[in-house]
Amino acid sequence: MHISEGILSGGVLAVGWAGTVAGVSFGLKRTNPDRIIQTALISSAFFLASLVNVRIGPSSTHLTLLAPMGLILGQAVFPAVLVALLLQAVLFGFGGLAVLGANTVVMGVPALAVSMIFGRAVRVATGRGRVAVLSFMAGTLAVMMGAGIAGIMLWMTDADFAGAVKLLLVAHVPVAVIEGVVTAFLVMWLKKSAPEFLS
Amino acid sequence: MRGKIFVSLVFMAGLTLLLTDEIFAHGTGYRHSGFRAVALEFMYSTGEAMSYREARVFSPSDEKFAYQSGRTDEAGRFAFVPDRAGMWRVIVRDEEGHQCTAEIEVTAETLAGGSQSQDTGTILHGRELLLRGMLGISLIFNIALIIRRRHAH
Repeated sequence: MHISEGILSGGVLAVGWAGTVAGVSFGLKRTNPDRIIQTALISSAFFLASLVNVRIGPSSTHLTLLAPMGLILGQAVFPAVLVALLLQAVLFGFGGLAVLGANTVVMGVPALAVSMIFGRAVRVATGRGRVAVLSFMAGTLAVMMGAGIAGIMLWMTDADFAGAVKLLLVAHVPVAVIEGVVTAFLVMWLKKSAPEFLS
Repeated sequence: MRGKIFVSLVFMAGLTLLLTDEIFAHGTGYRHSGFRAVALEFMYSTGEAMSYREARVFSPSDEKFAYQSGRTDEAGRFAFVPDRAGMWRVIVRDEEGHQCTAEIEVTAETLAGGSQSQDTGTILHGRELLLRGMLGISLIFNIALIIRRRHAH
């Protein structure tokens, strides 16, 4: 889901950085000092998740864990996404530094949205089936929303990217389903073994 | 009547013979080319091949319209035959927005048949990947500790 360097226009990059500054400022204000180490733990998982490749036919993609991040970190998710993406760009060459703001918005906004839409419902849900369905929906929505934001950025850069945007959305459908399943299992395990993570 | 049919058949046969070259001109064929191709391998920074990805080649003389376009093969390989010396760009990208741009300096010697091998990408494997991953996690926790200390003060 990382947008590479040299694709987006200057205007879109600026919008990305503006969104990132706003999101990180908001996130830092909402960060609970007692949960900073937990935030670092989740940020590390997100940082490493990009190395887990999922084979889909002749192609492959990697996990994002956007929904688990959003459900665990809530409104403090943006700083965790920014730090992980910065280190992915510097250490693994994913994305880039100029496009870091745009990529943070592409992944931070869905994680934040999922926490706001599903966070409370997942916390209060009791039945395993209900938790699984809600978590699956959160995981699927987060990936498709991220692909949608990336698509809008590409389209804003150049209307000729319309074909690539369609491909981007279609290519993310299987990824969204896989993320939904992973999110469902992870959240069910957390509800049972470490419910304080979702509090 | 028979005479007319005979004349018509002779006329059609003659016309067919006249058009034979024209018909053969629409056929196809192949031959081994002596031109030197530039062959590249594209991969993600984890070392995984960029299989079946869209590839576009831009010549030094026209950076706007692609000289050639196609897809990489399963192993992430793509080849093209340059027709002039200069800096050639090959852009390979996937549906998720990952993009790799290779800049290849084609010299007159290469065009004449010399060999060319460049390694411009960064491939991370096993140990290096592990070290970078550990460094990243260490940095994340150090940043977290700095933020926590600031909050404590």
